Amino acid sequence: MMENNNLKRIIIATVISFIFFFAYDYFVLQPQIKNKDLNTTTPSNITQTNTKKDIKKEKSTLKIDTIAKIESKDFEIKIDSLGRISSFLLKENKFNTKNGQHLELISPKLPKPLEIRFENKILNKKAFDTKVEVDKKLITINNKPETITITQNLGDVVVKKVITFYPNGKYDVDVKLNKNVNYFISPGYRPSVAIDKLTIHGALIKKADGTLDIIEDGDAEVKTVNNAIVLAGFDRYYTTLFFSKTPLTAVVVPDEDKNPILFIKDNKNLKLTGYIGPKYVDVLKSINPQLVDVVQYGVGTFFARNLFLLLDFLHKIAHNWGVAIILLVVLVRIILFPLTFKGMVSMYKLKELAPKMKEIQERYKKDPQKLQMHMMKLYKEHGANPLGGCLPLVLQIPIFYGIYKLLLYSIELKGAHFLWINDLSSMDPYFILPVLMGLTMYLHQKLTPTNFQDKMQEKIFKFLPVIFTIMMATFPAGLVLYWTTNNILSILQQVLINKLMESKKALAKAKNEN
Amino acid sequence: MILKKLLIKSINIYKYFSPLFGNKCRYYPTCSSYAIWLIENDNIFKAVFKSFFRILRCNQLFRGGLDYPIVKKEIKNFKYIKTDVKYWLIPTNKKNYYYVIKADNDGK
Repeated sequence: MMENNNLKRIIIATVISFIFFFAYDYFVLQPQIKNKDLNTTTPSNITQTNTKKDIKKEKSTLKIDTIAKIESKDFEIKIDSLGRISSFLLKENKFNTKNGQHLELISPKLPKPLEIRFENKILNKKAFDTKVEVDKKLITINNKPETITITQNLGDVVVKKVITFYPNGKYDVDVKLNKNVNYFISPGYRPSVAIDKLTIHGALIKKADGTLDIIEDGDAEVKTVNNAIVLAGFDRYYTTLFFSKTPLTAVVVPDEDKNPILFIKDNKNLKLTGYIGPKYVDVLKSINPQLVDVVQYGVGTFFARNLFLLLDFLHKIAHNWGVAIILLVVLVRIILFPLTFKGMVSMYKLKELAPKMKEIQERYKKDPQKLQMHMMKLYKEHGANPLGGCLPLVLQIPIFYGIYKLLLYSIELKGAHFLWINDLSSMDPYFILPVLMGLTMYLHQKLTPTNFQDKMQEKIFKFLPVIFTIMMATFPAGLVLYWTTNNILSILQQVLINKLMESKKALAKAKNEN
Repeated sequence: MILKKLLIKSINIYKYFSPLFGNKCRYYPTCSSYAIWLIENDNIFKAVFKSFFRILRCNQLFRGGLDYPIVKKEIKNFKYIKTDVKYWLIPTNKKNYYYVIKADNDGK
């Protein structure tokens, strides 16, 4: 009994910690913009901190204004007096903030995307004190890309940025210098929209050989990475990045919070592709397949990414993420079906063993361990085994974990509707799914014959559907949907098996009577 | 050692909950018992490796039934003491390889 009490304590502790963990996630760690970030935004107040000797922010004496605007139906971009992207608003309403405003992807922190800093201090100072010229004040993008040219005359050096904006948020930038001089250009500080403790955010550098260097916020150190082809700053859902087909030299510099800031170091003309926006796998892929790696899912990224591709495929058939999840469950079941089917066939063989089984059951009634052992012996002798095995059960674990990761990181699944649920990646507001899950779980438990070790365990089991319902109440609805569907299919399968067994028994009985 | 205890503890917690998903294991000893027996008698990495493949084997494509874990051990320096038997090591046909069978102490 001592051990039972201990176990009970462990279970209760686990459940409580789970509840706390998820409540904390949903009520406290919700994506938040740190207030202190907001305070440093006024253009006249660009503070100077020397994070690295070479890459210096300079206090600008200029009054920094917006000097050009690029508009499309999906976004609005502003270029400031220093030739940087100072604002990138997503105009689609589904991205809106809680206050109903369009979402701003450019972090208040420096550097802004396309910010250039020179290694030469005097030149750098000058660059931050000289206003740039633009050839157009307003561009409207409809279906085709549009180009803007930004020129900054620094006396000796003239810097030109020719930027072509595309309707999907991608841009090409052509940096032209009239003479070679060392400089750094940044894809910008990572978006600070969806920052929480649960998900990873920071910077990512992909090298030409395909290796990834992920620098999480708080872990950054000064370093140089050669052969970089992708430089991306990312939060949970959004990114700002540079991509280049020819390998470049990337420089990582920590800010005051040890968050990574990315630069490309070069000294001559430079061609880059950039993207600012949500981490849609499709969009990133259409820019370049190399960019798919910008979507990171934390531990188990490789598995989660492939699961996403599968789920995305199902979504393209079903046009609804909820239905896609259901189809995924069905698909997993179909893959496991040969196993299930084999199990059903062995049920036939089992009927001949029924008398022997009964005998063994009688003999070892008091010793479940021995009973189990002798049953197994019997099964092996006759090549019939009614049990499903551990593998089908264990296989579900990575899939479940993968879906959890997708619901956490995939912007595609954010705000996905399904019947009464308006966001599969957050909890069911009416608690219908968790309750349904509890009910199906209870039903499945009822239908499946179970041997209990002791009374205590039996009692805990009766309560488990209730505990799980409470636990799952704060889980993303998509995850609960997966589990519920899985339960329903398990019930159907069990009913089928039970029917099969019954008809076999009836048949055997009829035979005996004859 | 801590890792060993932690593993056994977590497998035991799993064992407690496993009837929830139906008593499904096709083998005796069950995959979880198999793992524990091995962890207590074999090198921990070997034990994890062997248990992993046991789980892979535990599906309808395999026959199931009796399947005791096997460990490689060189038994030297015999000492005769009076003690409770925890595990029996039964020699297999191969030299230095033994079946592991847990001694039945619980039924009393």
